[in-house]
Amino acid sequence: MHTMNPVTLQAHALQKRYGRLTAVDGLSFAVRPGVVTGFLGPNGAGKSTTLRMFLGLDRPTSGAATVGGLRLAETPHPMRVVGAMLDARGVHPRRAAADHLAAVARAGGVARSRVPEMLELVGLGGVGNRPAGDFSLGMKQRLGIATALIGDPAVVIFDEPLNGLDPEGIRWARSLMRDLAAEGRTVLFSSHLMGEMELTADHLVVIHHGRLLADQPLAAFIADHTTEHVRARTPDRPRLLEALARAGLRAAPDAARADGIDVEGAGTDRVGRVAAAAGIGLSELTAVRESLEDVFLTMTSTQKDAA
Amino acid sequence: MDLLASEWIKTRSIRTTWILAAGAVLVTVVVSLLGISGLMAGWQADLPADFDPTGVSFKGILVGQILVATLGAQAFTSEYATGQIVTSLTIAPRRAVLLVTKLAVTALVALATAVLTVACSLGASQAALAAAGLPTADPTDADTVRAVLCAIGYLVLTAVLGVALGALTRSSSGALAVVVTVALLVPALAPGLPGALGDLAGTYWPTTAGQASYTTTGTGLLTGPAGLAVMAVFTLWTTLAAHLTLRARDA
Repeated sequence: MHTMNPVTLQAHALQKRYGRLTAVDGLSFAVRPGVVTGFLGPNGAGKSTTLRMFLGLDRPTSGAATVGGLRLAETPHPMRVVGAMLDARGVHPRRAAADHLAAVARAGGVARSRVPEMLELVGLGGVGNRPAGDFSLGMKQRLGIATALIGDPAVVIFDEPLNGLDPEGIRWARSLMRDLAAEGRTVLFSSHLMGEMELTADHLVVIHHGRLLADQPLAAFIADHTTEHVRARTPDRPRLLEALARAGLRAAPDAARADGIDVEGAGTDRVGRVAAAAGIGLSELTAVRESLEDVFLTMTSTQKDAA
Repeated sequence: MDLLASEWIKTRSIRTTWILAAGAVLVTVVVSLLGISGLMAGWQADLPADFDPTGVSFKGILVGQILVATLGAQAFTSEYATGQIVTSLTIAPRRAVLLVTKLAVTALVALATAVLTVACSLGASQAALAAAGLPTADPTDADTVRAVLCAIGYLVLTAVLGVALGALTRSSSGALAVVVTVALLVPALAPGLPGALGDLAGTYWPTTAGQASYTTTGTGLLTGPAGLAVMAVFTLWTTLAAHLTLRARDA
């Protein structure tokens, strides 16, 4: 394992308009080396447009998207700086996978021997001679990942890298991204699979309608946007509801269970003490943790209401 | 140099490249021979006074050029159609450099194709003329040599024009439509244009001027290198437009 020269991605008041539509609206954030950053937002939030501006494919209407302080076209060795997979379509379908990688390697002055190495790394060792058009979506994703990594770049950008991968492939891609970050690389990936993002990302950049909603560690993001929530079960529901209400807690009967109660805004310790003081027995007391998906959906739906 | 080698790997690893190149050779030879077989028919035995045995050998270029231009257009259109352009521009984000590299690789492939096309077409046509007892070209004649070189140059320019049109239209069918219009339709319609406009278009239209360069008789005012120069200037402007478009547009 080697360590990289750290390179930071930075969006400076980034804006992109298409006619009257504003796809990206004044985004400013930094993506730092050494951690996996998840790029989250509903469809049409401006994620892909932002990634394309980092790569110089789309030109910002105003502001800038820089890689190590420079636009990608200004960097002396672009392939050593950024490797990207925007979608699994970045490959000519009638060109053999090995030829595709050989062309990419040659452009970056990378040794030809990296081609079989990379095919092996992404699990395409036996099929390098087949045209990419014959590949399944999962295999195309793997070839795209090999394309991004062949230049040994300091920054890795993946747009929806988990699409089409089977469960084993998803686990592989997850550990690959974690390893790349552990080597000191800057890793930015977008995904709509929030369960996967929760397992993979250390840090989140969340956008909606082209605006920044959050730029913080994953754990902090979830903590900030969830309220404590406890589920209790008791044979004596009416009395416990009454005791909780007297203690000033927001408690409501669980519609799904005859003996269940939902308490918001308090932890298990508090609910347990109230029950004990009232002498009510509990058959269950559970802290309900909201998933990233819950948080995200709540957040984007309130945003929609606000807009 | 690395990017040039990379583009060469891309070009050679797609079968379409070789199909188009082989097609250009074949179609040019066949169409030239068909033209000569027309001359051999009895009712056309009276040759015109300015019969040009070199020029007739290259008649097939009229059709072959379409394939050569498509070969050039492929350099960009196949990348836009497949999404490969995203990969190409990520590894080579300086678009002018990518354009120049693609132009260079295409020009080299086109040069090889053109040499083969011109040699085969000339060889086959001269053999057919000789067999029919018709006058043949004098290979030592300076005009013949000049026509051969101009035919090769014309085909290479056509390929370069194709690259530029591919970058401008981003679509194979779009590029093909423009090529057919520029190389076939306008020259066919030009004689029908009124007065001075018809004369002007019939002489100075870039592909018409370029095609006159590989005859030994020429058509009117422009002969040889001058005709090729008109084609070259037109190609240069189109390439410049491709450069500006490539730089300004989102990929």
